[in-house]
Amino acid sequence: MTDAIKNVKVHLLVLGLVVASELIGILTFNVGPGKLVLLPMLYAVFIGAFFGPDFLKIVKQKDMVEASSLVGLTLLLLMARYGTLVGPKFFEILSAGPALLLQELGNIGTLLIGIPIAMFIGLKRESIGAAHSIAREPNVALIGEIYGLDSAEGRGVMGVYICGTVFGTIFYGLMASFMSVMDIFHPYALAMASGVGSASMMTATVGSLSAIYPEMAEKIQAFGVASNTLSGLDGVYMSMLIALPLSNKLYDALYRLKFGRLTKEN
Amino acid sequence: MNKLIESAIVLVLVAAITLVGNTIGYKFGLLEALPGMLVLLGICFAGILANRFVWSKLPTVLYVVTLGMVITLPGFPGSETFSAWVGKVNFLALTTPILAYAGVGIGKDLNSLKQTGWRIVVVSLVVMASTFISSAAISNVVLKMLGEI
Repeated sequence: MTDAIKNVKVHLLVLGLVVASELIGILTFNVGPGKLVLLPMLYAVFIGAFFGPDFLKIVKQKDMVEASSLVGLTLLLLMARYGTLVGPKFFEILSAGPALLLQELGNIGTLLIGIPIAMFIGLKRESIGAAHSIAREPNVALIGEIYGLDSAEGRGVMGVYICGTVFGTIFYGLMASFMSVMDIFHPYALAMASGVGSASMMTATVGSLSAIYPEMAEKIQAFGVASNTLSGLDGVYMSMLIALPLSNKLYDALYRLKFGRLTKEN
Repeated sequence: MNKLIESAIVLVLVAAITLVGNTIGYKFGLLEALPGMLVLLGICFAGILANRFVWSKLPTVLYVVTLGMVITLPGFPGSETFSAWVGKVNFLALTTPILAYAGVGIGKDLNSLKQTGWRIVVVSLVVMASTFISSAAISNVVLKMLGEI
């Protein structure tokens, strides 16, 4: 890590990217019932991608490896901030009731459906990172610490994180309208499901639902916010204790089924 | 010990870059956001030390999230002050440097990204849909059992 710290060029490039990205700022576009949201972090990664030897040739292989080696550590500050978002709401959440608490186990549905599909379309270890959870900040940080964000698992979780950031609000805005037309679940159930651990996705869902059911809007919003904060609270624990071990078991079992032999490292 | 100091240096560096972004993008002055940033740095250091010296089986991330939560719990000494301070450090301002480091490093992964690209997009749609539907199904069943809907 010493070399990475001493690589002043990398830090200056990062500073430059941050300044440029924040100057552009947040851009939102209304698309149907949702919004396409472009955040400074997306510009940073997008512009950064052109620094490599394939395009601008500003950074060498060594610089790229060293920059990547620092990402896991940089996530810690974000996670500290994340915890401080949850703390003030802790007791409200505890009193939220059994339905709200139990729906958090919906994360198991994510991996039961996601991992087989990811493997079916040809992903390998990327599946674990991509489909063990909805890939919000706590999940990215945990995968980063366990596998490293440079690994196949890390690429998977980062990919889904970025896609979710770009398309999440549109997707959930549409999803909420679609589910209410299908009329399988009660609006309160949909509201509770909206808190997946991303404020913007929750807002998009709750926004659509409140427009469709204005007489229930107040309760829908309360459920959405409570459920989202709850996801923030249990996200890391859920991933570490349940989702990751289960994903690995499922992956191994499916791998044997598909290739007829045990998994090997990479 | 060396590794601890190195981690500390990286965190301070990232904190400084974040403060710059926080000023440009979210209009919090450098000095205004400094106390909150120091609190966040303190939480990170404590988390790293806990992972090293208390119980290394638990990931640092878990210590850090939990600590951040505990010091802002209503009733914890100084919790309101801590909340107010860290409130001056925008959440999104913290995400930009992370993705900037990832961006500088991403050039070496472009080929593997080309191969996995569309698959990841498909998986992320599946993941978003299945998380939502599974949670809605559970809530619906429990709410029905409780007679609330």
